[in-house]
Amino acid sequence: MTTDLVNVTIDDRAVAVPKGTLVVDAAAKLNIEIPVFCSHPKLDPVACCRMCLVEITGPRGPMLQTACSVPVAEGMVVKTNTPQVKATQEATLGFILLNHPLDCPICDKGGECPLQDQTMRYGPGISALVEPKRHKNKHYMISDTIVLDQERCVVCWRCIRYLEEWEDKPQLGLFERGGQTLIDIQPGQPVNAKTSGNIIDICPVGALTNRVARFSYRPWEIERTASICTHCSVGCNVRLDSRTHKLRRIVGRENMQVNDQWLCDKGRFAHAWVNAEDRLTMPMVRKNGELVGVPWSEALQVIADKLQAIKKTNGADAIGGIGSAKLSNESNYLLQRFFRQMIGTNNIDHRDGGDVAALATGLPALADVMKPQYGPNPKVDTIFLFGVDPSEELPILDVHLKRAVRKGKAKLIIAHPRKIELTRYQGPYLGYKPGTEATLLNGLTAAALAAKAALEAKEGDQPAPQNDVSAVEQLLRDLCGVDPAEVKRAAEALAQSSNALIIYGPLVARGEAGQNTLHGLTNLALATGHYERLAYVGLEANSQGCRDMGLLPHALPGHAALDDKAAKQRLQTLWGATLPTKAGKTYKQMLDGAGKEIKALYIMGANPASERPEWTANLDKLDFLVVQELFLTETAKLADVVLPAVSWAESSGTFTNLERRVQRAPKAVRDPHSKAAPDWMILDHLATRMGTNWPYAAEHGITAEITKAVPLYAGLTWEALGDQGLQWDAKALNVQPTSQEATQQNITLYEEYPLSLVSGTVLFDDGNMFRRTTQMKDRIMPALVGLNPADAAGLGVVDGTPVIVRSAHGELTMAVKIEAQVQPGTAWIPESLPGAPVGALLNGSDIEHVRVQQK
Amino acid sequence: MGFNKFFKGATEIGRAMGVTLKHLTQKPITVEYPASPVPLYPRFRGKHELRRYENGMERCIGCMLCEAACPTAAIYVEAEENDPNHPTSPGERYAKVYEVNLLRCVFCGDCEEACPVEAIVLGSEFAMANYNRRDFILTKQQLLNPGEPNVVIRPE
Repeated sequence: MTTDLVNVTIDDRAVAVPKGTLVVDAAAKLNIEIPVFCSHPKLDPVACCRMCLVEITGPRGPMLQTACSVPVAEGMVVKTNTPQVKATQEATLGFILLNHPLDCPICDKGGECPLQDQTMRYGPGISALVEPKRHKNKHYMISDTIVLDQERCVVCWRCIRYLEEWEDKPQLGLFERGGQTLIDIQPGQPVNAKTSGNIIDICPVGALTNRVARFSYRPWEIERTASICTHCSVGCNVRLDSRTHKLRRIVGRENMQVNDQWLCDKGRFAHAWVNAEDRLTMPMVRKNGELVGVPWSEALQVIADKLQAIKKTNGADAIGGIGSAKLSNESNYLLQRFFRQMIGTNNIDHRDGGDVAALATGLPALADVMKPQYGPNPKVDTIFLFGVDPSEELPILDVHLKRAVRKGKAKLIIAHPRKIELTRYQGPYLGYKPGTEATLLNGLTAAALAAKAALEAKEGDQPAPQNDVSAVEQLLRDLCGVDPAEVKRAAEALAQSSNALIIYGPLVARGEAGQNTLHGLTNLALATGHYERLAYVGLEANSQGCRDMGLLPHALPGHAALDDKAAKQRLQTLWGATLPTKAGKTYKQMLDGAGKEIKALYIMGANPASERPEWTANLDKLDFLVVQELFLTETAKLADVVLPAVSWAESSGTFTNLERRVQRAPKAVRDPHSKAAPDWMILDHLATRMGTNWPYAAEHGITAEITKAVPLYAGLTWEALGDQGLQWDAKALNVQPTSQEATQQNITLYEEYPLSLVSGTVLFDDGNMFRRTTQMKDRIMPALVGLNPADAAGLGVVDGTPVIVRSAHGELTMAVKIEAQVQPGTAWIPESLPGAPVGALLNGSDIEHVRVQQK
Repeated sequence: MGFNKFFKGATEIGRAMGVTLKHLTQKPITVEYPASPVPLYPRFRGKHELRRYENGMERCIGCMLCEAACPTAAIYVEAEENDPNHPTSPGERYAKVYEVNLLRCVFCGDCEEACPVEAIVLGSEFAMANYNRRDFILTKQQLLNPGEPNVVIRPE
C-alpha cells in the first residue's frame, strides 16, 4: 500500500487522502455528498452521467470537472456548492428526467430510488419538456429473472460495467445514439451470468427490477433482517426483506471479508421454498401404513418410546443420526449431543462428512482472494483448483477468482475432469480421467520438485541432478490423459509462486481414493511450500460448521479425536454424561447398513433417498425412521414419524462458512398458521421426554454452550459475532501435516463400459428448494448427459438424442448434450437432475464407468 | 303581586305556544330514515369505494401509497403483475388484494389524497353496522361494487 497522502480542500475543509483517491471519495470522507449516478465504488469510473460535476481549481482557474473520475492532486481546491455547480446539477437532472416516465407509483424502485432522492434534493422541480415523452420498451425480460424498463434507464452503464468488470461476460450493451440510446441484450441471447442479479442492486433507477419479487414489496413496508445465504459454503451476507410473515425479497449486504456486496442468482432469487404452500405444518406418525397428522406430544412420545426400545433390544449402535450441512451449528451441535448423550453412540454424520478426506481448517481467508481487486499487492498470486468448479458450486468465489486473475494478475491452475468455465483464463488445465488423481498429483509433485531444484540451481549455479521423469510422464499421458508439458507448466507456476492457494473439493475427496488425493495434495503442498494454504472446501452452507460441531462419527466437537482425554473430560462435565468410545458409522455406512445392523435412523434435513435407489430400499427396511424436514421429501415419505422443522429464515442460528467465518442468521419470518418448530426445540423436547433436562431457553443459549464445548469457538457468542461474523483461528487447531505416499487405486476397465462417469454439482439443479422458484424453472438443467463431440460422433448421436446411460449398477434415460467442455472418454452427469439421479449409476462407488446407447 | 305573577306566567305560556304554533306550519326536521334519504354535505366521507374507468378497467394500480398514507394501518394491499393479454388495470401492476378494515379506519381521507389515479374514494354511505367483526374488513370485491356505482364525488 502506498502511504503517500495528498492534501486537498473541499468546501473550505482540508482533508488528507491517499494518492489516487477520486474526488468523490475524498468528499465522502468529509461527509460531503456529491450526487452521482454512474459512479459506483465497486466499478471503474466512466463519468458519463455528468451528475457529479464540481468546481475544481486547477492551474487554469476554476472549472467544472467530474468528481467521480478525477483523482486528487496536492493542493487541489474543490467546491461542491457554488451557484454554478447548483445550476449544473439542476440542468443535468432536468436533462436526465426529460424522458423519464412518471410511473414511480408502479415502479419497484420507488422509495429507495437514488433518482427520486436526488431529484428531490438537487432537481429543478419542473420539467422543461412540453412535448410528449419518448417511448421505449417496457416490461422487457432480459432474462427469466430480470425485467428491463428502457424508458426508466438513465444510461449510467453500471449494469454493463458490472457484467464486464466482475463477471467478464459482456452480455448487455449500448445500442443506438443520442436520446435514443438504450441498454439491450444481444439479439436472442438473454443475460445468463450466474450473478446477473447484482445489476438490479446497483441500478440507480428502476430500469432493472427483480422479477421474482416484482410488485410484492414496498421499501417502506418491509422489515429488514441482516442474515446470510445458505445455498453454498461462501456464506454471502444478505438482507431478508419480509412483510406479513412472508419472505419477499433478498438483496446483497456488504461484507468486505466475504461477498463484497454481490450475490449469485440462486441466493437472490430462489427463495420461494420458504413460503411454499406444501411446507410441512404438523407432525405426522405412520398409522396403518398412512402418515397421519398428530399433536407434537404424541409424535415425540412415539419417538422416545421407540428409540428406547430399540436401544434396549439391539444396543445403542443400532441407532444412527444423520444431520445436514444445510442447517445451523446449533441444530447440528444439538443432534450430535442428543446421540452421544441420550442414545450413547457415535453413529452420527452428514453427507460429505466422515466419508470425505477433509482438512479441518478450510480456506485461510476469502479476503486473500479478494485483495487483488483493491490493492496493488496481491496476497495470493497462484490459485490451484483441484476438483472444484466455483462457477457452478461457489459462484461468488468464482467472481472473486475472475477478478483476481484479471485485476490482480493471479495465475489460475485447474485440475478437473471437465473443462470448467474458469479454464478460459489460459492457466494450465489438467483434464485428468476420474480416478487418476493420485497419479496426477504424484506427477505434479515430481515436476514441482524438479522445477524447484531448477530454480534453486539458477541461484546457486549448481546443476541439479536430473531425475528420470519419462516413466512418470508416460503414466500421466496414458493413465490420466494429461499432457506432461501442461503438468510441467502447472508445477512450475506452483514452484515459483510465493503465495499459492490450493483448493480441493468433495468431488476428489470422497472414499478411499479421496484419502490418496489428500496425501498427494499434502505432498505437493509440502514440496512447494504452500501447506498453510491447502484447503478443503465443502459445498453446503455449513459444511465447515458441521465438522467443527463434531457431527462426525470419528471426532468430537472441536475436531477432537474420540479418545482425546481432555476433550472428553470437558464434554462430560458440560453435558453431565458419559461419552461413547467406539467410533461410529459414516453417512454412507449407515445408509448401506440400514435395515441390517442399523435398525433406526433419525434424519434431520437430509434426503438420502433421492440420491440412490438402493438407499431408498434400505430405508424402507428400517424398524424405525424419523425424518425432520421442511417438505415431504422422498425420504420423509418412507418415515415412521415426520417432524415439521422450520427454515433458516424462521429460526436463529449461526453458520460457519468455507473460511471458518461464523456468521449469524437471525429469525426473520414466522408462519403463524404452522405448528412447525425449530430443530433445536424439537431435539430439546425429545431429550426431555427421554429423561433429561437441557437448559436451553433459546437458540442463543446453545450458541453460548458451543463456545464452551468447542474451544475454537471461545468467545464467539451471538452478541460478539455481530453483522459481519468472526473467523476462528486456524492456528489454534495446530494441524501437523503428515506426508504419506499417495497410491493409485486400480481402475478396472470393462469393455462394455467405455466412458468414465464425471459427476458434480450444477448451480441450477432440480433440488428440493431450487425447483420451487417457478420463474427459474427454465434454468434448471434438464436430464442431459454431456458428451465430447468426438465421442458423440463415434456413437452417432446429436444434441437431444434420447439415450440410455448404463453402468454395472443401473441405468438412466436421458438426452445427449454435446459439449466441448466434456473431455473425450468421459460422460458428464451432474447430481440432482430432474428424474435422473446419477446415484443410480454410481450406487455407492465414486468412480464408475458407463456406456451410452441410443434408445 | 299575585296578578303580576299570573300575567308573567301567561305570557311565557303564550310565547311557548307561539313556538309550537309556528312549527305547526313548518316542514318537519325529522327524517323518516331509512324510508327517506338523509341529506349529506358534499364533502362527507363515508364508506370506501374503488373506482373503475369507463371501459370497465380497475383504476387501482396497487401502488400501496394509500397504505403508506393511512394513519391507522387500516388498508392492506397486495400487488401483482397484470396479465398482458387480460389486464385488470392499465399498466403493469394491479392490486390482487385490497382490504379496508372499517374498525380501524378513522375516515380521514388521506388515502384519497395519496391515490395517484383516484381509485380509492370515500363514498357517501355511512351505515356500516354489522353483526360480525370479520365483516368489517371490506374486500376488493365489495369495494369495487358499491351500491351506487361511479357517482361523481367531490368534483373539486
